[in-house]
Amino acid sequence: MIVSPWMPWYTKNSKTMTLDISQVYGQVEAMAGDLKASQADYGRRLDVALDTLKTAGSAQDELRKKIDAARTTWLVAGLKEAMGLKKPADKCPDDYAVAASDGSHIDVDRHHSVRLFLLNIGLVYLQYGSRPDAEFSTLPSLYFGDERLYIRSDDGRQSPVEGSLLGMKRNVEECRCLADRVCAMPAGLPVVGLIDGSLIMWGLVGQRYEDFVIRHLLDEGMLKQLDRFHALNRERKAAVASYISFPRSADVVNALRLQLCPYNPVDCDKYCAGKFEGRACDVVGGLPDRDIFSRLLSDGERSAVFYSHSSIIERYGPHKVCFFYVRLDDEIARIEVPLWVADSSELLEMVHALVVEQCRKGFGYPVALSEAHEQAVVTGADRTQFWDVVERVMLEGNIGADISLKQRSKKIRWI
Amino acid sequence: MDLDKQIAEVIETSNSEFLAQCYELDAVPAFGSLVKTRSRDCQIYALVCASGTHSIEQGRRIVARGQGAASPAEVFKAHPQLAKLLCSDFRALVVGHDRGGVIREYLPPSPAGIYAFVYACKPEEVRLFTGSLDFLDLLIDSRLPAATDEVIAAFLRFASLTHEAPQEFLVKAGKGLAWLLSNDIRRLDSLLKRLRI
Repeated sequence: MIVSPWMPWYTKNSKTMTLDISQVYGQVEAMAGDLKASQADYGRRLDVALDTLKTAGSAQDELRKKIDAARTTWLVAGLKEAMGLKKPADKCPDDYAVAASDGSHIDVDRHHSVRLFLLNIGLVYLQYGSRPDAEFSTLPSLYFGDERLYIRSDDGRQSPVEGSLLGMKRNVEECRCLADRVCAMPAGLPVVGLIDGSLIMWGLVGQRYEDFVIRHLLDEGMLKQLDRFHALNRERKAAVASYISFPRSADVVNALRLQLCPYNPVDCDKYCAGKFEGRACDVVGGLPDRDIFSRLLSDGERSAVFYSHSSIIERYGPHKVCFFYVRLDDEIARIEVPLWVADSSELLEMVHALVVEQCRKGFGYPVALSEAHEQAVVTGADRTQFWDVVERVMLEGNIGADISLKQRSKKIRWI
Repeated sequence: MDLDKQIAEVIETSNSEFLAQCYELDAVPAFGSLVKTRSRDCQIYALVCASGTHSIEQGRRIVARGQGAASPAEVFKAHPQLAKLLCSDFRALVVGHDRGGVIREYLPPSPAGIYAFVYACKPEEVRLFTGSLDFLDLLIDSRLPAATDEVIAAFLRFASLTHEAPQEFLVKAGKGLAWLLSNDIRRLDSLLKRLRI
């Protein structure tokens, strides 16, 4: 803080009441020290992982069987192609389009008497080639009233759409808006629809959501939209893919763990229950997949395609999620596609080529997704303005729009 | 340029000037040219005194993209979103208005309307407006984004071409300036030098 001689004495002596960064600094230094010490070990684990990958590649069928029979506590990638495969991107078609969507939301605020939430979907359509064109749109939707605020079953059960359920509802809407736009495209032009994040509805994994909630979000939600993309292939090459920047997943590393495991069939609970270190597979433990592929792939190359074995995937049917990694400059991104894309080399290579091209145009991140984010983003100022508008309109209509005293104390800060 | 077609829209306005956003990228009217728009009660004439192209959103910096490209047009073709993320606009200084068919070379009673359409003036309108040079009085003391004298000289050169005898028009304008700048010979000299077509 710059202390001016003209500032009153109490300002000079003031101590900020928020985060005291000087207290955290020492802890950050200690963390950096720890990380540095573990770097040599990290390098060794990475070398072992790469060696194991080579070995696994030469005995792929055995590993595939081992994976299928294994009972593990981690998520293990299924092998669709040769594990060590690396492939440069094909040339982009002369004329093609990329559409992308992203979303933001304003969640239900329990401090307001009005129950509502807002979804803001940003949509971008970019057409390349002989008729270049661009189209941006923002689609805000206000959800209010019990019918829209709850997911309901036929027999009268209901679940409020808020928190993580709202996040998933937003994913479905992003996919729906994207499918709407792609379906409205001129026939014949190849297109890839890009979604930010994962095609796997992770929020449904491990949570005890009732089946009507899963049916609403997945079967009648996300999967229905993926059906629309699939159906488009009757008139053009159309693929859908999701893009995960700097992924933390370790599905492939976990497959290597199985390769290293001395037991066959692998059964973690039976042989290694309660152990977190010292197991044969721990020599590659803690590595994310991206670190392996960062060593393996050159710029623009993709890895082999793998199956995701998340438990929710069983419900995906023809849209069973597959993924591959792609290297873009210094980053490894994870691209997820439905099985019907992964099974078609034409669609798969188109996704690969277009994602690489999009990233080249967007300085390392797909330009369509980046612009969709710009369209979708709801800033802190937007939120404040939104609630101000809600309160004003309610007051003008003589409808009570109370806020909690806690919320009021945040709005009017006093001493 | 189709002179009957609107070229821009007022997005910021005051009694003495307005900012107009063009519909097409880089399609800004010439520096020093005369444009017209409307307030709620009259037609307003204004001089283009600054123009430019920039990011449509503050905080989003434009980066170079043309390395290896044959032309800027190729850059736009390879990145079709750019045309939607950039905009061209211009600032115009109000120099007069037309109310009931009479041109008055002083500020109008109300500013240009927000979102009012802006048109380039046709040559006969420029000729009519510059029939009198009273607007010079308004211009001489203006504080503009570009050097004031550059705007005055650019406008007079532009207007002269709409007259049958451009040189005669410029001599007349020079005399008007000499009267207004009689106490500032250096400025007058510099301005007159800029009047050569």
